[in-house]
This record gives sequence, structure tokens and C-alpha cells, in this order.
Amino acid sequence: MPLSTQSQADIDQYILIASLDNARNLSNILKAISLRDHAIFNATQNGLKVTVEDSKCLQANAFIQADIFQEYIIKEDAVGFQVNLTVLLDCLTIFGGSTVPGVCTALRMCYNGYGYPLTLFLEEGGVVTVCKINTQEPEEPIDFDFCSTNVTNKVILQSDSLKEAFSELDMTSEVLQITMSPSHPYFRLSTFGNSGNAHYDYPKDSDMMELFQCTKIQTNRYKMSLLKPSTKALALSCKVSVRTDSRGFLSLQYLVRNDDGQICFVEYYCCPDEEVEEE
Amino acid sequence: MKCVIEGNGIKVFGKAVHALSRIGDEIWLDPLEKGLAVRTVNSSQSAYACFCFTPLFFQQYIPEPDIQKDCEAVKCKLNIKCVLPLFRCASWRERSVDKCEISINIPNSRVIFQFHCRHGITKTYNLGYQECEALQAVFPAHLCPNVLMAQSKLLGDIVVHFPVSQEEVTLSISSFKVTLKTFCEDENNCIRGMNTELMLHADEFDYFQVGEDSAVTFCLKELRGLLSFAESYGLSVSSQFGVAGQPVFFSVKDMTLEAHVVLSTLTDPNHKSPSQPVPGEDCPVDVPKISTAEVSTCEGPMETEVCVDDGEQVASSQGSEVFNPTPHMRKMFQLQTPGEMLPRPRLAPESTLTTPVTPATFKIRSLLFGAVYTDVVDSKSVDLPSLACSSDTEE
Repeated sequence: MPLSTQSQADIDQYILIASLDNARNLSNILKAISLRDHAIFNATQNGLKVTVEDSKCLQANAFIQADIFQEYIIKEDAVGFQVNLTVLLDCLTIFGGSTVPGVCTALRMCYNGYGYPLTLFLEEGGVVTVCKINTQEPEEPIDFDFCSTNVTNKVILQSDSLKEAFSELDMTSEVLQITMSPSHPYFRLSTFGNSGNAHYDYPKDSDMMELFQCTKIQTNRYKMSLLKPSTKALALSCKVSVRTDSRGFLSLQYLVRNDDGQICFVEYYCCPDEEVEEE
Repeated sequence: MKCVIEGNGIKVFGKAVHALSRIGDEIWLDPLEKGLAVRTVNSSQSAYACFCFTPLFFQQYIPEPDIQKDCEAVKCKLNIKCVLPLFRCASWRERSVDKCEISINIPNSRVIFQFHCRHGITKTYNLGYQECEALQAVFPAHLCPNVLMAQSKLLGDIVVHFPVSQEEVTLSISSFKVTLKTFCEDENNCIRGMNTELMLHADEFDYFQVGEDSAVTFCLKELRGLLSFAESYGLSVSSQFGVAGQPVFFSVKDMTLEAHVVLSTLTDPNHKSPSQPVPGEDCPVDVPKISTAEVSTCEGPMETEVCVDDGEQVASSQGSEVFNPTPHMRKMFQLQTPGEMLPRPRLAPESTLTTPVTPATFKIRSLLFGAVYTDVVDSKSVDLPSLACSSDTEE
């Protein structure tokens, strides 16, 4: 395998090496958070966390655990850098998006450390490509201070039921309103568009509802432009957890199974557009 | 108004809305005793379509409003772009939607479409509507000399030969055959483009009646909606028409619904008739050849020289009051007694003008069909209206 012809000296200089037999296991999940051009990478012993932020109101995180990788070597406690996500995705899919079974792109991602580019070795069918992407000083991701103890309402739904709703959302509505309540309507998504308003109601006893824990009625509005991109993560996922805290901040957590059936997580945090208390 | 559509009916309703969207940008909902009429008209008012769903179509149908007042059922107009996405015929939607409830909320001016889906999920859409008078075309289809009825599959097979961009086709009928061919405005275009001509023998039709040999030219694009609807459900399509210039009428009928499309046809410039002025260069319209109907909203009574007979009305318009404009009545009589000289109409040449030339108080009606707004207030009086009436323009 061409990737293994690198000399030991080369390997020694890298502080992070992550290899995948199927690059799609990384590219698919990164596409789910590709809201903006820049992504902050934070690698630890546990794995890779990639963060993308939008206008200081939305944050998307992708978690790829160390055991997803066929090879994962990290020589420091934490390795952080920032790269252009669009460029990275273009490189990861440089051999085209072939979905022919058995044919996939192998990836070895290497990083020398601060100031060095991110090096990608990609191989498919005997052809090797080396990509070097410039890295930047990583910005500190916003801490949304969303902790489990502060969660007022939580539901876990099977993604299929939400996929329909999200794909049909009235884009002329500036906001997406989420109502969670221990009584009717339980879990409601609402839009207010040019032609009128629309409500999607999910009752707590629906067989699509895996968990329903709502303590008090809460209605919050979020900018549609911020939440709509989460549809990508929803499309990949099989389950989604929706949580709101006492401030009305929203946490969406998606359980994604990759091509090999392994589990990864994608998470979205969003600030409310305006506080709408119980009506 | 409140109605509930179950299961497969939702798909049918969706296809009907889709067929209507091929013609106009707005749909009129008119809950009648005999069913829910959903109508549209195109922007140039040369094509009109109506789908009337009988109470059998619904699991539940309540035309009267909930408010127990003496106000009549609300007639409302919706933008079709708002309604169409609700009924997208995606296969998952067919599987997942159990029931659709449509109701009109008068105090809030909203039409509510509520879909009860699988897994207990409910989708509710509150669409704003414009309250308006009912839209209706009056067309004495049963007076047409030529009648054809064919399986929708046959018509589908015929129409597939014409390119989708093909606007106008000419349907000619003579003793034993029917021809459908591309219409071209002038000979030069004919030579350059591709022209299609199909000839069918009378035997191919389920019903074939020729009262008068004729050739009518109409816009095929506006008919495709009804044809694909009919083909989805294997319904027969019947067509009634007369000579060039008179509208052509297509309809499908089933136990649960009735749909028809009325299209204007080109007047024949070669056919000279005293009551039908030939379109000339001085016509102010862009497309002088196509006679269009004027949708007018006369409220006052109007005098005509002829009596309006209820039987002349199009079947699905029963129950709603209509005006039959004078020139249209003349046309009707022309059909009954061909060759009779008719008095010159009082109005200026109607067939070609779409802009009013007489005082602003009334609009010119065309020969084609009087698509009118009915006056709900002016209920039972079929009192003969006067020509000078105030027209209510729409915002």
C-alpha cells in the first residue's frame, strides 16, 4: 500500500496521524457540519472534534472517536488547528463521490504541529494524491454553557419523522419555533411564512418518540437560516435528541452511523432568536 | 366549511390541484351543497378549469360554516403556490398520510389543511385566503354540435406526440375523422419547425358526434393537466365544441368527482359573420386572434334581450347565481339557428378587445364565455340585468 511507504522519519515528525480505510467515514460527517468555510479541529486521545460556528449564534460539532480510525496516533494531549473546511472536503472527495461497493478512498491525515500544513494522503485504486492544506491559529470555540443539569425539556426522536418536516419547512419563515410541553401539543415545530403558518406536532406517545421528558412548557424561536443547515446532519442520522435549557438555548444531538456501522455524534447548539414565554 | 379526505382521496385531491396549477396561479374554493368546487382561471382568462368533488369523495363533508348566522358559505381564493407543496405526490407522503381535513376559519380568514399522518404526527397549515365572489364559467356545453368521448389513455397517447413547448393545436372534425395538428401562425414558421399531425378515425372514439365540420385551435398546454389527471385514474374524457371562436369544453366524470376545462379557441379570420367582427390590425391587444373571456363583476341587474334559462348553465355551476352576458346569449342562439342574422351587438367589437372601450363603469364581455363573478347577495333573483353595471375590480 503506497501510504505505508513513508519512511519512519516522516512518521516521527507528525504529532497527529489518523488513518481511515474509507475516507467517507470522515467526509460524510464533516459535510453534516459544513455551514461555513472554517473548521476548528481539536484532537485528543479520545478522538477528533471538529467545530464550525456561524455568527456567534450557532455551533456545530462533529465527534469522531479514536476507535473509528484504523490508526490513530497523537503525541500531545491536545492538538488544535483551523483549516478551510470546504477545501478539506474537496480533498477528501478528490477521487469523486464513487459509491461503487468495494471501491473507496483510503486516507491518512497527518499534522506536524503548529505552523505546518495539514497533510492528507489519499489513495484509490492504486492512485495516490497528496494534499497539503494550510492551517491557521485555532479560534477558541464558543462555550454555550449548555449543561445537562440545566435542561428543562428533552425529547429523543427517530430521525425519519423529523426528516420530512425539515425538508418541507417553509423557507419564507424567518424563524423556526419549537414548542415543548408536558401537555398538548407536546413537541411542535412551527413556521410563519408568507402564505400562512404551519405546525408539525409530535405527540408524546408517538412510536417515533423514543424519549419524552418535558417539565414545563417552553416556546422558543430560532433563526431559520441558522437551523436549516442542520438538515444535513439530520439526513445522516438515525436518532436525534432535542433539548432546551432554561435560557431557551437549543441543543440538537444526532446519532450518525457511518458506512461501517460505527457510531459518531454530531451536535448543534443554537441561541434563541427571542424569548417567547408560555402563551 | 369542513371536509375530511381519507387515504387515497388525498392523492386524488393533490393531483387535481396539480392539474389546476397548470392553468392558473390561484384557486377558488367554493363549498356547494353538491360538493366542493375548486376552480381556476388563467391570467389571460382564456382557460378555466373546475374540479367538483361530490360529498361521496369525502369521509365527511359539511359545506355550511360553523357560525350559525345567515351568512352564506364562504368562497375563498388561495394562491396555488401555497397549496401545491402540501400535496406533493411523493411516495412517502402517500404512505404516511392517513387523513386530510380542510376547513375554513372565517374569523381569522384562514383555510386550514390538517394532515393526520402515521405515528400520530399531525401537520397543520393555516393559509391566508382572500374572500371573493365565486369564479364560474357559463358555457352551454350541451348545445355544442360536436361531441367526442375517448379513453384518457388514447388522448394521452395522442398528446405525447406534441412537444411540451407546443402551445396551440388545431382539432378538426369531419364526418368520419378527427385530426389533431400543430398550429402555426404563419407559413414561414411552419416550414422551419417540426409539425405534427394525427388523424383518428371515428371508430377510435367511444362516442363520436359531428354536428358541424369544424376546426378549433386551442392551447394544448392548459389541457395537459386534466389529461394527466384523467389518465392516472383511467377516466374517459369527453369533449364538446363548435366552430372556431367558440370555446371547447373537456370534461371527466366519476362518481366522486367531476372536472372540466373550458378553453378559448382562435377565431377563424376567414369566417365572416355579421355578429363576429374580424380581428384587424387596429386591435389593441397583443394577441388579437385569441378571443378571451372577460371576468367581470357586475353587481347590478342587467337587461338582456333574451331570457336566461337555468338549463343552459354548466352542470357544476348549479346552485350559484350567474350572469349570462348579452353577446354570449347571441352566440348561443347562433348555435341553435345557424345562419340567422343577429342584430349588431350594442357593445363595441367584443371578440378581440380585452380592454374596456366604453365608460369605465362596465367592462366589455367577450363572445367566448362569460366567466363572471356571481353576486352572492343578489340571491334568487334571476331578474334580467342591465348592461350598464358597476364593475368590481379585484385588488
